[in-house]
Amino acid sequence: MSETRKGKNPSPPDPIRVTGPQEQALLDALDAVEQAEAFVKAKYQTEFYRRATDLFENDEGLEFVRRQAHRFDSGGVFHTGPWEHPERLLPELVGGGLRAEGQYPSIEILSELRVLSIAAGESDHPNFTAEQAQSFLRTVMGLNLDLLYGSETEESRLRPKVYAQARRLMGMIEKEISAEGLLEQVLDDIDARVAQRPIDVSLTLKMIEQANNIPAGSNPKLVARLDRFLKATGAPTPLAEKAGSPTNYRNLLAKITPHELENEAKVVGKLMSLTGLSSEYHVALLQHVLKNDETDIIAKALDLTEVGKAHLAQFREQVLELMRLTIHPATSGIIYGFQQMLERMLLSRPEVADGLTKLSNLDLCTSAQQVIKKPLPRGSGISANAVIVGGVVAMLGQPLGVGQGNNPTCQGARALSLWSLHDPGYLLQLLTSAVRDDTVEFLFEGIPIFSRDIGGGVAEGKFDLKLDPVSRILVPHLDRVYDEMMRRAALRGEDPHKWVNPALYGRWVPNSLISPFNLINQTVVGYEDFLRLFYATHHPSYDEGHDLVYPNPVGLLITNVHGRFLGYHAVSIQRVAEDDEGKIRVYFFNPNNEGRQNWGKGVEPSVVGHGEVPGESSLPFDHFAAHLYAFHYNQREVGDPDAVPKEIVTEVTTHAKEGWGEAFTWL
Amino acid sequence: MATKASVAAKTSKAKKAPVALLGYSLETMEAAKEHNIPFVAVVPEGFDTALKEDGIDVVTWDFYMRNQNSERLSEKLVERGVSHAVPLYEETVEWAGQLNTVLLKDPRAFQRALLFRDKAMMKRNAQMNGIRVGVFEEIHSRDEALAFFEDINEARLRLQEEAPEPVHLKPLSAAGSVGHVFVRTRQDIADLPDDAFPCLAESHLAGQEFSVEAFIHKGKIEFMNITEYVHLGYSQIVPETPKLTKIRPKIRKAIEKLMKAFGIVNGMIHPEYFLDAEGELHFGEVAARVPGGHIFELIQKAHGFNPYAAFLLCSDPNTPKSVLDKFFPKEQDHKIFAANLMVYPRKASIHQLKFPQELADHPYMDRHTMFEPVTSKVAERVGFGNHYGTVFLAGEDPEILRELVQRYEDVDFYE
Repeated sequence: MSETRKGKNPSPPDPIRVTGPQEQALLDALDAVEQAEAFVKAKYQTEFYRRATDLFENDEGLEFVRRQAHRFDSGGVFHTGPWEHPERLLPELVGGGLRAEGQYPSIEILSELRVLSIAAGESDHPNFTAEQAQSFLRTVMGLNLDLLYGSETEESRLRPKVYAQARRLMGMIEKEISAEGLLEQVLDDIDARVAQRPIDVSLTLKMIEQANNIPAGSNPKLVARLDRFLKATGAPTPLAEKAGSPTNYRNLLAKITPHELENEAKVVGKLMSLTGLSSEYHVALLQHVLKNDETDIIAKALDLTEVGKAHLAQFREQVLELMRLTIHPATSGIIYGFQQMLERMLLSRPEVADGLTKLSNLDLCTSAQQVIKKPLPRGSGISANAVIVGGVVAMLGQPLGVGQGNNPTCQGARALSLWSLHDPGYLLQLLTSAVRDDTVEFLFEGIPIFSRDIGGGVAEGKFDLKLDPVSRILVPHLDRVYDEMMRRAALRGEDPHKWVNPALYGRWVPNSLISPFNLINQTVVGYEDFLRLFYATHHPSYDEGHDLVYPNPVGLLITNVHGRFLGYHAVSIQRVAEDDEGKIRVYFFNPNNEGRQNWGKGVEPSVVGHGEVPGESSLPFDHFAAHLYAFHYNQREVGDPDAVPKEIVTEVTTHAKEGWGEAFTWL
Repeated sequence: MATKASVAAKTSKAKKAPVALLGYSLETMEAAKEHNIPFVAVVPEGFDTALKEDGIDVVTWDFYMRNQNSERLSEKLVERGVSHAVPLYEETVEWAGQLNTVLLKDPRAFQRALLFRDKAMMKRNAQMNGIRVGVFEEIHSRDEALAFFEDINEARLRLQEEAPEPVHLKPLSAAGSVGHVFVRTRQDIADLPDDAFPCLAESHLAGQEFSVEAFIHKGKIEFMNITEYVHLGYSQIVPETPKLTKIRPKIRKAIEKLMKAFGIVNGMIHPEYFLDAEGELHFGEVAARVPGGHIFELIQKAHGFNPYAAFLLCSDPNTPKSVLDKFFPKEQDHKIFAANLMVYPRKASIHQLKFPQELADHPYMDRHTMFEPVTSKVAERVGFGNHYGTVFLAGEDPEILRELVQRYEDVDFYE
């Protein structure tokens, strides 16, 4: 890797023979960009991008442009544009750029070719080494496995040219940058995803499928890691492998001994506990044992602990009934939810047990039926009631696995998670109303709000419904209600969340809210007092024993990897605790589907390895405090704000000012 | 150490006063640099950062702001010792007028600029100076639009059963064809949005349309290009083909008359005319800024000089005659013709670009500007501005060019 030492002469690739007018036109356009004075380079860039686009249509053309890539940075091909500084490029944006419209896919390809030339040591960049370039490209490969190994999609069939050139580029990157390490990187990514135990695992499943296409090499460890995921989501045992399909597997299960059956159940149960994932084979096994009410085998197939087993035994009839109703090849993902719900002993709460029964037999309104069944494959033969009850089981089992999908509805996702944890009966009640009456009712300061009667919403009624069934139903209602409450509480001179949060989430949100921000004119006032109060209400060293009981919905200021202000985001503080290293951390629920974040300046929420419960994110207390913009507290549960050392306050303030604080005026 | 002589030399060489370029035009800035014309770029907020980083002298200005602070721009530019201002976009024309009133001490510069910005006043002035124009009226409501339409048809003795004589409605002060509505029926008037008024209503002029780009210095035409419109808003050829070349002297006279009517001494004008079947010229409108439709690029291709530089040189009253003589080629010396075709999708929904291979391989093909479409839903046209891309062609035979642009106007470049 170290052939290219910084500062040593880079070696441009061999010149390539100009074979036609397109190639000549590209060179002319590149010359024009190079020769132009800095301020006027932009005038010539577009023509160069255009000419390059012609060449991207075939391998030889791409190769020809690739041979010129060592001239791009020095010549100013990206001068004054967002692609100018390779050290600021974000691998996450590459996939979107390649699929974008207008000239952007072309610029994106040119940018990767430039990074390739740096990686290959053909050009030097003062702020981007060959090693960084290689690592960047490897990450890009990991994030775009579908372009490397995936099959055609609806979108790619509609825009074959754009996809073909993107695939061509990825193929070139794969050829030049060894795919060695790629599988490991992808497996790490899958590990981190499953560690968060999301309800919606569609992305994880896609990644596992594509990881299977990456040449594994000879590393037995990697092969074993991948194998575990393949087994969890596919044929789990030699018997299943032999069967070849879930249906055949079910037939074979009828012919094996009780002991062998027990072993099969143990394997699928363990695989699920390890990964949070399950397969249609798992469904087949459960359906087989449900036929004979084999509770012991079910306990093994769910890998239950003693607590879970006892709960299963106590509520045997209802559990079996729920499983018979909901477990189906189209809903294989909810099996993990059953395990977790049983471990949470939720059926011992009558409002949950009764609520589930009620929902199973409810007459659903037409619109709810449509929303529930829409994403299911046609002819899957499962009732809307079964899907929604299965959805509730998943949510009750995985309260921290709720995600907002591609919607600006962090508020709704956060509410569902909170109720699922602390008031599952209420969640069921809301859901019942939504699927039966197509409305939910909230009181705001004594005046009812019916979601059916209002428009608006942060998402303005446009939802990407790639969500779990419960979110699919409830989030559009909650989004409108939230927006309506915000409207009613606006113009009170204080952050409306002070009134909206307790009204929306419920009585466990303390009524006092503090925020040092004036969001209208982007100013910060009294930041130090704000920080001291946060420490005095949330930090075990200063809160005089008033530790958090219920999750606290708080607002965060989100920054990009360079620490620049991006926007506001809603999360819930789940708990504050000491980690294994004795560091106080804030453990929080991020309704964004991905808890792993990089907010710049060393602030990187982690999801695993620091004592996180699956689905929790965590940050050292100071880092969390430095990104906070509002929190609720109880005025009678405040420690001593003055006990917080000056150094801590100064340090956090400085961190904040140098990050998102640059976008605000500090008064 | 500097000797007295060298100091004297420096001061005698007296740093040339910068010119204010109004609007963000890299082409113009580049031309200024190439001809050692110092300049201050006056650009809207947001366009300044990159320019400043690259060492350009920049002033930001909101050209849509008209209030008691408007004079601050001239104050800022006087501070910088600016000699005069050159407008590069339609909405900067009256700003240039106001600035030149101050900078060039030309009391009528602002008023003149307002003439260019108000199509009705412009036509009125042309008419008073004996220039042939269509019938026009400023109208303020739908009823007035209908009345105008009826009057024109009555005057033309149209019978009920005949197709009505069409009229045009245009905003009073927009660039070129932005907001232009071609009214063929009473229903067209009923369909107009309420904010279409007030506007200018005009009778229809039939015939061959063309524009002239006249570069004028000290009251004399230094170079006259004629742009022949093949299909208004779609395609044009530079310079004109033989059928218009024949009447160049007549056109030159018309331009001179126009210059007198509008008091143009230095700079460039871009008027549009119609040549009717009887060989008479009818004046459409005139602009005093860089023309749209990529005409400058066509001029550069066909005549081989940089029209942005020409505009700047002619706008400066102090440019020596010798410089201009050296700069401009002879009008008839061009070897080739240049043409362009503006491409609009022909379907309501498109997914990707499909450039016709036969055109790509044609020896007259120069370049095009189309990328993958930015959105699949095709927007409605506003003026002729929002075409999806432009095809540039060039070659010796103008009739081949005409045939090409006419043929490919009907071809779909997107699928």
